[in-house]
Amino acid sequence: MPTLSIVRWLSIPLLVLAATAGPVYWAFPEGLSAARSLGIVLGWAGCGLLLASLLLMLRETWLSRWLGGLERMYQWHHRAGMAAYVLLLAHPLVLAADAWPDSPLLAWQTLSPFSQGWAVGLGWLSLLLLMLGLAATFATRLPYRIWRWLHVSLGIGVLLGLWHLLQLGIEEPVLPILGLASLFLGWRLLGEDFGLAARPYLVQAAAPVADGIVEISLKPLAEPIAAAAGQFVLVAFFAGPTFRGCGEFHPFTVSSMAADHAIRVGVKALGDCTRRIQAIEPGVLARVHGAFGTFLADRPAAAQLWVAGGIGITPFLALLRAAQVSQPTTLVYLYRTESDAAFLSELRELAERDPLLSLQALASGNEPPNLDSFLPAQGQLAGVECYLCGPPGMVAAVRQALRRRGITARHIHFENFGFR
Amino acid sequence: MRRLYLSATAAFWLLVTAFWAGSWWWPAADERAAVITDRMIAPAELARHALPEDCWMAIRGHVHDVSAYLPEHPSRPSVVLPWCGREATEAYDTKNKGRPHSAQADELLARYRIGTLLVDKPR
Repeated sequence: MPTLSIVRWLSIPLLVLAATAGPVYWAFPEGLSAARSLGIVLGWAGCGLLLASLLLMLRETWLSRWLGGLERMYQWHHRAGMAAYVLLLAHPLVLAADAWPDSPLLAWQTLSPFSQGWAVGLGWLSLLLLMLGLAATFATRLPYRIWRWLHVSLGIGVLLGLWHLLQLGIEEPVLPILGLASLFLGWRLLGEDFGLAARPYLVQAAAPVADGIVEISLKPLAEPIAAAAGQFVLVAFFAGPTFRGCGEFHPFTVSSMAADHAIRVGVKALGDCTRRIQAIEPGVLARVHGAFGTFLADRPAAAQLWVAGGIGITPFLALLRAAQVSQPTTLVYLYRTESDAAFLSELRELAERDPLLSLQALASGNEPPNLDSFLPAQGQLAGVECYLCGPPGMVAAVRQALRRRGITARHIHFENFGFR
Repeated sequence: MRRLYLSATAAFWLLVTAFWAGSWWWPAADERAAVITDRMIAPAELARHALPEDCWMAIRGHVHDVSAYLPEHPSRPSVVLPWCGREATEAYDTKNKGRPHSAQADELLARYRIGTLLVDKPR
């Protein structure tokens, strides 16, 4: 994240550190054996990390601006959640290990979910739900709808873990943590998953722009969202005259912003819900939340190389539709076949009219593209800012190829689109 | 991250199994409870040990010196300390929402037993 200021860059690590250290400091044990103290500290640190992870799953535009973007928040949401899981697994084991020198039987009774009543039973239930929820998180082949509900078990696991502490008779600092955790979970569920924080829009028009890609124009029914070229929005489509949307929020890049605040988004059929959206019609109600992302924000005046794969062309298209480029720009557009190449004829027209824009449109077929055939040589890339958007495999391959050509990470900008 | 999840989860279950197996292989009962000098302690003597650092409690007819254990007790001190120097059976048996302490707690408590509470006979 080279364009982030140091403060923004440090914001999430500092937040995670504070959330972890706060409860540990507050509840730090005194006068106990080293192993028991460690077991207790592991539990509190895991608790704080879970709280940070919950905050980082909130999809709020103002929060994402403070914390350096939604993508970065999600990376840290995963890291903090995973670190919490490992510490919380170790917590009961270390407490049991403390009792081992006295008696292995006592060690097992300390650990066993059946020998200590509700308090320890709830701790176990919490751990098992975290285990199940994380297993589902990694099962990316699950349909999104099922995946999402399994992911909810993580939130329930967090609440049960805090209830476990209350059952042990520990109210400080559990009650403030429980309050915050409930606030974050409720905020996410009501405001974002149920869409109360999103704005109402109406589908004005929809046109197929390639095989399995439709461009949808949305008109605001109330106060519009504020979006800039290159940003994305979370959109849920509901019912229309004959269309029935799935009502789930999915991320789509804004491909155009009109003066009347209507926006357009490109939707590629990648799953059950987006496949259904291909048949969308005017008059469908939608809710739009956002906009998010800093991918093309604060671009320097240096020459630019844009590499787009498939539907990854939309942020660049939004920029070109908004205005001509102000720096020498090469746009490399990769797609499988001409029928998959959304917006190709429009891009050719834009390139013809824009003297600073050069377009290379390349059909790669079913094979991975030969990067050497279109990436400039090392000498030609000096001082060039590179922006990549497309499937994760393509972005990773182009990043590696650019690094081999001596481009430092600071000059390579990309955005992942995965929110699982 | 998936690899970390799998290895941490596998290690967890392996260690849980090891603790369970250990409890079967080394079932050596704690013998400290069996060698208690079972002396009789009057309520007045019990009441003299009502400080956090010198805390005796009478539970189910036995007197326990729990001073060494108090820092490890999971409840906050304000819940436990008022029972120092007193007959605390009711508090012990109604831990939260009226539930008694666990068998494991009973076993732990037995280690701190120092005698039997002398009960005044009704006249």
